[in-house]
Amino acid sequence: MFSLKNFRSICVGAFAAAALSSPTVALADEPAESYIGAILVEAEPVLNAETEDAVLDGIADLVDKHVDMRRVALFTLGQYARQMTAEQRDEYLPLFKQYATIVYQNALSNYSGQRLEVTGSIDRSERDIIVNSKLADPNPGDPFADAVIQWRVYRSKDGDMAVVDAGADNVWLAIEQRSQFTSVIANNGGGATGIDALIAQMRKQVGG
Amino acid sequence: MKSVVFIFSAAILLASPGAAAQSDAFAEELEAGTADTSASATNDPWEGFNRKMFAVNNVLDEAIVVPAAKVYRATTHKKQRKGIRNLLANARAPFTFVNDILQGEFKRAGDTASRFVVNTTIGFGGMGDPAARMGIEPHTEDFGQTLAVWGLDSGPYLYLPFFGPSTLRDGFGMATETVADPVFWLRTDAASYTRYARTGATALSVREPLLEPLADIKENSLDYYASVRSFYLQSRRREIANGQTVFDDLPDIGGFDDFDELDELLEEDLAEDDLADVLSEDDQ
Repeated sequence: MFSLKNFRSICVGAFAAAALSSPTVALADEPAESYIGAILVEAEPVLNAETEDAVLDGIADLVDKHVDMRRVALFTLGQYARQMTAEQRDEYLPLFKQYATIVYQNALSNYSGQRLEVTGSIDRSERDIIVNSKLADPNPGDPFADAVIQWRVYRSKDGDMAVVDAGADNVWLAIEQRSQFTSVIANNGGGATGIDALIAQMRKQVGG
Repeated sequence: MKSVVFIFSAAILLASPGAAAQSDAFAEELEAGTADTSASATNDPWEGFNRKMFAVNNVLDEAIVVPAAKVYRATTHKKQRKGIRNLLANARAPFTFVNDILQGEFKRAGDTASRFVVNTTIGFGGMGDPAARMGIEPHTEDFGQTLAVWGLDSGPYLYLPFFGPSTLRDGFGMATETVADPVFWLRTDAASYTRYARTGATALSVREPLLEPLADIKENSLDYYASVRSFYLQSRRREIANGQTVFDDLPDIGGFDDFDELDELLEEDLAEDDLADVLSEDDQ
């Protein structure tokens, strides 16, 4: 009933489970890699579009389709997200989307005429995955030749994936934005007053 | 992103109650969803002093460093600038070597020593980088990174006049390296000349490739000081990890599980607003 062979396979299984569940072991997440891979394929004609305007419009479309702006918008407010009124939220969310889209356009248009490819991934948790990519065939001397371009993927409870942040060499955009926004709010009296000041500055910045 | 990469590579230079009618439970949920408990939370108790120094540096930057960097760009060829960057990096190799050893990174210390020998000889005193073509990749270390490896926390963010963004630990590291430099103690004309030339060349060599990226950040940022601080602290963490992907201490973007509840609450809140709109329309 309890053979040695069974016992051995149980032991092997237990070891494997221990190794896999160890918190220091980060695993690759293939579905997230394929998800980003598909976006990068979609981005290729965009980055190689004829005119600069076409590149920027294409990036805006990609951002609209794949970035979970609402989630990022609330994240960038840090502790102040909970102090926002419903009116402020209705003003802030569309402004943030405009602002962040411009940031993505500036960042990604640096790769115009190039192609990005996925090189691997690290899962912080089942829901939170970092996918790494790099330039596929960088021109000699390209300043981004060795850069690791990173994508933070969020997986919802239903298994849907969305991009929540982008970075290069571990410097992340949304984290930098949160640093700015919380600083603006804090230096303008904090709370609802500070959030009003942030909204006013963002409106000025995006020219809306 | 260009900016980000450059800032990383040149980090040495720079660097009330809510009015909403929300229930306590809702406020607690939001707090759980957005509280920043990660190691990347900004530690900047000296913000007032730092902002003053940042303002001073910006004036000096605009008045002296940027014009000089533009002249430097206009009067040299890309390849010459690359040569000067290599030369300065090679001159730093002894510091990197000592710090590699202090960190117990003997393989990397070997790389540093080999690079120094190869580049100083067949690389014409360090102008060229034949070592990289042999597959010995460059890296840098400094005493601040060594202290980090030894377990010292960064301490508060510190913006230094002339030196730019730093932290208490990294500023101490810089000061230690300055006095550990033999050239610092030599009081001959040649030593003084070397010191000034090296300082000036380093400033130009670091600032020149940053001309556009920093101008971009300045233009797009709502708070230039906070942007530089965040870029510096983020890139510094990666340098300390020797370029490995750092992911343990990233903040959750919305505490994920908590955030789902937060989202639902916000949706409900939104639904109530809509209801209120409908009601007010009914009143009219």
